[in-house]
Amino acid sequence: MADPFADAKVIFTLPWNSEVISAVAFIGNDKVAAANKRGDILIWNLPPAGGKTPDPVRRLVGHTGEINRLLVTPDGKTLISASNDRTVKYWDALSDAGTPGTIVLNDGTPLKGVVEKVDKLPALPPPVEAKVIVQKPIKELAGHKEWIQALAVSWNGKRLVSGDDQGAIIVWDLPAGKELLRWPCKNWVRSLAIAPEGKTVAASQHVPGRDKIVVPPSFHLWNLETGEMKVDLTKEVTGGMSAIAYSPDGKWLATGRGNIEVERPDSRVTLLDPSTGKKIRELTPGHSRGVTDIAFHPDGKHIFSAGRDQLVKVWQLADGKLVRDLGKFAERGYWITSIAISPDGRCLAAADDSTRQVVIYALTGR
Amino acid sequence: MNSNIPTGTCNSGHHLSRRSLMKGLLTTGGVVVANWGALTHSQTIAAEAKRSGKRCIMLYMAGGVSQIDTFDMKPGRPTAGEFRPVQTKVTGIQVCEYLPNIAKHVDKLGIVRSMRTRTPDHGPGGHYMHTGYHPGERFPHPEVGAMIAKYCENPESDLPSFVKIGSGSGVYGAGYLGPQFEPFVVSEDGKVPGFVNPSVSAEIQDRRGDLLNFMEQRFTEQRKGEPFAAHHTAELRTLRLMRARQVFNVTAEWEKAKDRYGDNKFGRGCFTALKLIEAGVSFVEVAHGNYDTHNDNFPWNKANFALMDPAWGSLMDDLTQRGLLQDTLVVWTSEFGRTPAINVRAGRDHFGRAWTVVLAGGGIKGGQHYGSTDRDGFEVAENPVNEADYCATLYKAMGINPRAKHYLGSRPIWATEEGAKPIQELLG
Repeated sequence: MADPFADAKVIFTLPWNSEVISAVAFIGNDKVAAANKRGDILIWNLPPAGGKTPDPVRRLVGHTGEINRLLVTPDGKTLISASNDRTVKYWDALSDAGTPGTIVLNDGTPLKGVVEKVDKLPALPPPVEAKVIVQKPIKELAGHKEWIQALAVSWNGKRLVSGDDQGAIIVWDLPAGKELLRWPCKNWVRSLAIAPEGKTVAASQHVPGRDKIVVPPSFHLWNLETGEMKVDLTKEVTGGMSAIAYSPDGKWLATGRGNIEVERPDSRVTLLDPSTGKKIRELTPGHSRGVTDIAFHPDGKHIFSAGRDQLVKVWQLADGKLVRDLGKFAERGYWITSIAISPDGRCLAAADDSTRQVVIYALTGR
Repeated sequence: MNSNIPTGTCNSGHHLSRRSLMKGLLTTGGVVVANWGALTHSQTIAAEAKRSGKRCIMLYMAGGVSQIDTFDMKPGRPTAGEFRPVQTKVTGIQVCEYLPNIAKHVDKLGIVRSMRTRTPDHGPGGHYMHTGYHPGERFPHPEVGAMIAKYCENPESDLPSFVKIGSGSGVYGAGYLGPQFEPFVVSEDGKVPGFVNPSVSAEIQDRRGDLLNFMEQRFTEQRKGEPFAAHHTAELRTLRLMRARQVFNVTAEWEKAKDRYGDNKFGRGCFTALKLIEAGVSFVEVAHGNYDTHNDNFPWNKANFALMDPAWGSLMDDLTQRGLLQDTLVVWTSEFGRTPAINVRAGRDHFGRAWTVVLAGGGIKGGQHYGSTDRDGFEVAENPVNEADYCATLYKAMGINPRAKHYLGSRPIWATEEGAKPIQELLG
């Protein structure tokens, strides 16, 4: 099979050296949003390939803790963020209205790798500022009492599901922002995905730690409408999952193994049958130190995975073959924390933690 | 004499009183029994000992615990990290939001925010913080637990005087104090090693003991010397441990306590420490791991604190309610702290220049912090405390002279190095 991504290349690097960039999302095909551990969200308008590297144009303020997830509603109108500040916030994804302001893009200090004896923060370089429109959230969901690390939206845009470190999973009426249902789990909820049929939510739970008696990772399929457990897949896919995704056609359920705090050499993406939960295949060779994120390509034939080895891997769904790696392999200390694919499938955004920048790839001839 | 020994589990030959055991030992060379100080206390050592009646529980956070994420928070600074401080009932003392149980006891805590220690490596750091001396010294310095066991043990107790629950904090030994003060190491959840569980019935055990006594008596009558005495006392030690093992078995009471302490190894370890202290053990160290957070510092520590806080808080509750806290020093410590700077993997690395330990009970004046760090936590701003000062403070709190002199052969050696200064402001 021909490699449709043979000509994939970096077209922009968007520097943002303030804090670890923790999440990225596309708004349409020509806007990208990124969030960091400080609680900031920036939005860039992407010019055609070959254009000048853009500065951010919008800054979304309101979160006071690390942002763990960013996603966009299927209609492309609303950006939704989940944070350690215990809130989910809605943002107008398209509006340019707001207050003029500035953002310093390099007021952080990236300390690469294991720095045993850092006793001072290095002096900061001269500030690099960008003029932005500062915007506030249009809605805030405050039902969680702990860090919200998992968030998923239904394919019809009617339901939102969020999960926190207290083990609470909450189903929301997405347009209304109203809580419909919640149920407790035993562990921290780390990743969620809603099936295209809209009635099932997959949830991965695990707590940092090596005491397996206390914190065995688990993976379940739940009934989105009742909160009842449908299938326990804990034995089918062992370990903690940092990412879960359903393919748009509903044929695949994918998990990315990456107990976030335990860097493992054999971290793999696993493809499951969504109806039975049975394992179909594991994609090998896996990332060297944990999967951080996964995303299905809109072509329905490929899945992308990001890892703690600074790579984005492109896999073929039909046979599990590794198509190619994007990026430069790094054994330790360099992560791609999050990825997103544009709705038209032509661009990939990757949050590169080691360089503190959002890397934009043209996948198929943008 | 401790009464926690079940009857009917050993024969008359094994029912040795401490006095008869001592007599026997002295006639066979006065050899000591490793980790069984109370049974083998030589007359010389016994004469030296000042029995304060005090006890000590050390909670050791293995791997290097973060000061900025616990008791020396820097809200609003670039080094602050993900956790929020909460104000306690003591003005001026904020602690991490994920330490609610220990925050309730802040009026009993002496928080030392100005530890400045000399090595940021695990092995040497652990040695330094356990002994007060640099590991490079080729001298067998005892760890704090051994020193406290020597001076504070109850000579009438049948229990070991120095117990480590889990070996995650390292075993540095009794050094020049001698093998009788070596730690008795049990598993992380406080369960004793399998060898102390008899493999045969009491009746068979009795018959075997009688036979062994008979054979050994004949044997040693003809061969005087330390090796034979050592063998004999080791056997006695094991037998007494087999009989005293029930003290370590907290299963029945644990069922009622586990919801408060947390049903995990550290929770059970803290509860076992309470029971051992209550039964007369002088020093118990409980290790809790996973603090070496070079990556994902905040989720790691959030999970760690969820285990550590209820266990430590419940231990403080129970010590207080049972009237034990005033004579029980509780130490929360580690081998070093962690960097104020957050690295590219969202972790904190090793850091000894400015970090925190916490003392409570045992006469410590609580509700205060000693020393401080600068606004980002990179340097001690006032009142630096080094490893020797820290150990001297523990000794002083326990009623031990920090400059107590001992001898290795003819060479004098002191409990803490010259210049070590106890923190008087924390001592009652």
